[in-house]
Amino acid sequence: MTVLTKVREPQAGSRTGSGAEPRRRRRFRPTPALLFLAPSFLILGVFVLWPILVSFWYSLHDWTIGADDQPFVGFGNYLKLTQDPKFWGALLHTIEITVFSVVGIVILGLALALALVRDGLGNRIIRSAFFFPTVVSLTSIGLVWRFLLDPDIGLAGALTSALGWGNIGFLQSPALALPTIVFVNVWKNAGFVMIILIAGLKGIPAERYEAARLDGAGSWALLRYITLPALRPTLLFATLIMTIQSFQLFDLVYVMTGGGPLFSTDTLVTMLFREGFVNFQTGYAAAISWALFLVIVVISALQLRIFRYNDVD
Amino acid sequence: MHYRKQLAVVAVAAAVGLIATGCSGGGSSSSDPVKLTVWTGFTGGDAPGYEQIAKDFNASQKHITVTMTAEPWDTIQQKLPSAWMTGQGPDIAAPAPDPNVIAQYVKTKSVLPITLTGSGESKVNADDFAPALVKEFTYDKKLYAVPANYATLSLYYNKALFTAAGVTPPTTVAELKDAAKKLTKDGTYGLVLADNNTIQMWPVLQWLEGGDIVDSKNCSVLDSQKGQNSLKPWVDLVVNDKISPVGLTGAEADAIFSAGKAAMEINGPWAAPGYKKAGIDLGIIPVPLDSAGKPVTLGSTAPLAISSKSKHPQEAQQFLAYWTGKTAQKKFSLSTGFPSLRTDLADDPALKADPVVSVFSSQVPGSRLYLPQVPNATKVDSDAYVPLIGGLTRGTPVADGTQKASSTIDDLTGCSAK
Amino acid sequence: MSTDTLRRPTRTAAGRPARRPHTSSTLGAVSRWVFVGIGLVLALVPFLWMLSTSFRTERDLFGNPASLLPTEWTLHGYQGIWEQLPFLLLLFNTIVFAGVTTLLTLLFDSMAAYALARMDFRGRNLAFWLVLLTLMVPFQVTLIPVFVELFNLQWLNTYQGLIIPRATSAFGIFLFRQFFISIPRELDEAARIDGAGHFRIYWQVILPLAKPAIATVAVLNFTALWNDLLWPLVVTSSPEMRTLPAGLALFGGQHVTDHAVLMAGAVISLLPIAIAFFLAQRYFVAGVATTGLK
Repeated sequence: MTVLTKVREPQAGSRTGSGAEPRRRRRFRPTPALLFLAPSFLILGVFVLWPILVSFWYSLHDWTIGADDQPFVGFGNYLKLTQDPKFWGALLHTIEITVFSVVGIVILGLALALALVRDGLGNRIIRSAFFFPTVVSLTSIGLVWRFLLDPDIGLAGALTSALGWGNIGFLQSPALALPTIVFVNVWKNAGFVMIILIAGLKGIPAERYEAARLDGAGSWALLRYITLPALRPTLLFATLIMTIQSFQLFDLVYVMTGGGPLFSTDTLVTMLFREGFVNFQTGYAAAISWALFLVIVVISALQLRIFRYNDVD
Repeated sequence: MHYRKQLAVVAVAAAVGLIATGCSGGGSSSSDPVKLTVWTGFTGGDAPGYEQIAKDFNASQKHITVTMTAEPWDTIQQKLPSAWMTGQGPDIAAPAPDPNVIAQYVKTKSVLPITLTGSGESKVNADDFAPALVKEFTYDKKLYAVPANYATLSLYYNKALFTAAGVTPPTTVAELKDAAKKLTKDGTYGLVLADNNTIQMWPVLQWLEGGDIVDSKNCSVLDSQKGQNSLKPWVDLVVNDKISPVGLTGAEADAIFSAGKAAMEINGPWAAPGYKKAGIDLGIIPVPLDSAGKPVTLGSTAPLAISSKSKHPQEAQQFLAYWTGKTAQKKFSLSTGFPSLRTDLADDPALKADPVVSVFSSQVPGSRLYLPQVPNATKVDSDAYVPLIGGLTRGTPVADGTQKASSTIDDLTGCSAK
Repeated sequence: MSTDTLRRPTRTAAGRPARRPHTSSTLGAVSRWVFVGIGLVLALVPFLWMLSTSFRTERDLFGNPASLLPTEWTLHGYQGIWEQLPFLLLLFNTIVFAGVTTLLTLLFDSMAAYALARMDFRGRNLAFWLVLLTLMVPFQVTLIPVFVELFNLQWLNTYQGLIIPRATSAFGIFLFRQFFISIPRELDEAARIDGAGHFRIYWQVILPLAKPAIATVAVLNFTALWNDLLWPLVVTSSPEMRTLPAGLALFGGQHVTDHAVLMAGAVISLLPIAIAFFLAQRYFVAGVATTGLK
């Protein structure tokens, strides 16, 4: 629909620059498109989409793997969810982690991109350093951070003591654990967004800046009226990807806090892991996963909408 | 029902698939050894002890070859149910470090009752296991698993810190509380306690005070006067006297003790090598006597069960018989420091002479399991007990916290007596 | 982040800094350096700590936690791994898994993205949404159904079972599509005038221009697969097919007693990724292929 055509705004070099193409090529050729799509779609269909449907089927039953009797309960699991305070807590935490992570990642990524966009050797090395956290495994780095944040034997403890705040148990405090996870998530992903935005920045033609500067625009105006609008598709892409990723954050939370302390960092995914694989309630876990799935779909659709309606040029 | 049909299809496909691929030496000549696969979660420092059991078994006879693989416990938790359901799983597995999970597998008929019991090296000597263990793994009068190990918790203490403070190692619960208080100073903790992701320590504290978590009808006794009184002194020690940091995982508590920042920790035999490597001047003594003067501690075990879809149930039971047999167990205890799960090795001289094993062994008679055979025990732990301790140590009043925990527990265990 | 950094003179693509009053520029430059400096420290310290701990004895680690560098050196971490793991086998399996799957992903993803970006067909938007949808599903959700599927296909414990379900990534499709859209259609037109069909346009026009996207997807995909612990463990049951993360996971546990080994494992696992990363990173920011139109 139109939502998606707006996303495809040209970053540089207008598509209609060399004479408009009024004829929408409605050459109905399913065959080449099918060939191009076939391998991916076959794999995604069989190994992702179908299992999602199967898991919906599980969610409609009191499903325990291997049991003889899998009674059909309709939406009973979903009803149970709405009455489970842990679910609402997990939902809240998931949303909190996502919102704060994405805001942090995108703003930090943008700031870094603006700071490091020039292509000097120094900048390139520094960019690599910021991008590097993206490629390390979540489980290893979760462990490292957990250790670093240990109040008695980690570097963080030494730091906060030196600053006069005493030994702060970041991961042991129900109030601080969630912000700490957000921090590590931002740490891990800001560099990735930085790279994407730098690519976007480079696509902005110099003429626009020249013209605006001749009109007397200052740095802040340049950012607001030229850079940001031109970056919109890229920002949307980055925000969308980071949102989806943060909603599904598991390994980091699992390794660092396991959902604690006192369920303060329990997310929908850690809850579904616990219910499905520790408590053997596969049907209930499937219901949780579908709830998560719906939340992500709704939020993503909203994001696509919002970014489209901010149209300036 | 549509689902039954699907399951039937899967089962048939499994059978056809397995016959067609002719795996596991099914149709081979009788001189080929039977191959058994075993999955456990015994990673880390423990691993060599368990691997040795498999190696020794393979070396001791030519009829069965055992391949043992270890993976992290959470991976096994995610893989095993599906693997066993489709017949693709191992012949034998330790599904989790928590003995209560067997209930679930029994319910889904995924595990085989063990029938090769009796006396002698070739049979599972169930009568010689610590009785609590047999009880734990028996459902409907059938034995569904053997203990892969048995660990009791003892009191580790830092000799250097004790000498510096002029405190003698405690032998009663009153002395324990006193020592914990006295040794909390200058940045060190008297008794470091973990409350999540750990073999549970707090139940030991409750038992020392004469309290418990559930009664024989699986109803919570935490909110009773006795229950509250068993928690209150320790909660006060943590909250007011700061004998331990709050909210620690087992690994974090171990790390604090390893760093020499704690004078005492209640822990199992697996911790000793690590502490020594960290350079601690280590002392190990039994957990002090409880308020009635009786010895008590927590025992923890992991179940070892046979898949109901295993193609070699007899051979699998033979391996379990070897694993829990006298020879293997003695060797295992000496190499890992674990006490023996067999009562008839309690007086073995070699084990008695070993400084680590002897301490843990001596506590086997007085040891108790955590939430034994309590329905939904894993959830009781994660949803009621762990948050309870976490809340109390952060300032929740004992009456309120125990009341909330009790209602959660009673819902989970289906307690009807209240 | 202070607004100073944002008020700093914006750079043009040509790299010419705009004229700004002197004081504001210095303030801007200084705050930029402070910002980047702090960020750099935060970004690198965990890795330095990981590397350093892999060489430290337990006693040293617990005795001097505030020190970043080892005071007591040891190689037992690396030795332990070398001795206790069939290291080369694990490495081989991981390279095969991550490498082959990534190559397939690059091909399949870019093809699908080409169709979504360049071809007009009914249901295109639906197709795009379906791709996006698959991105929104956490792995734990599909774990059991996929396992049963693989079982039915008899692909458990086989290379094809390991590779094919992962041979396409919705993220890759999304990224390629985003990239292809920004490539001007004039280039397509030129090729079409020369008589090229879709496949030739794809292969000879679009792909060569897509090097930054290819490099990005390749590295991110390879990395994700390399670090993937759960998937290979779910699909394979024999030790001969184990990958590196699975092997290294054996050294952890609820009561970790040897941090040097654990960290040595993490370092070893990270090394090939780091190398691949540094080799490919110059492609990341090569910029969109529109220089011809400026």
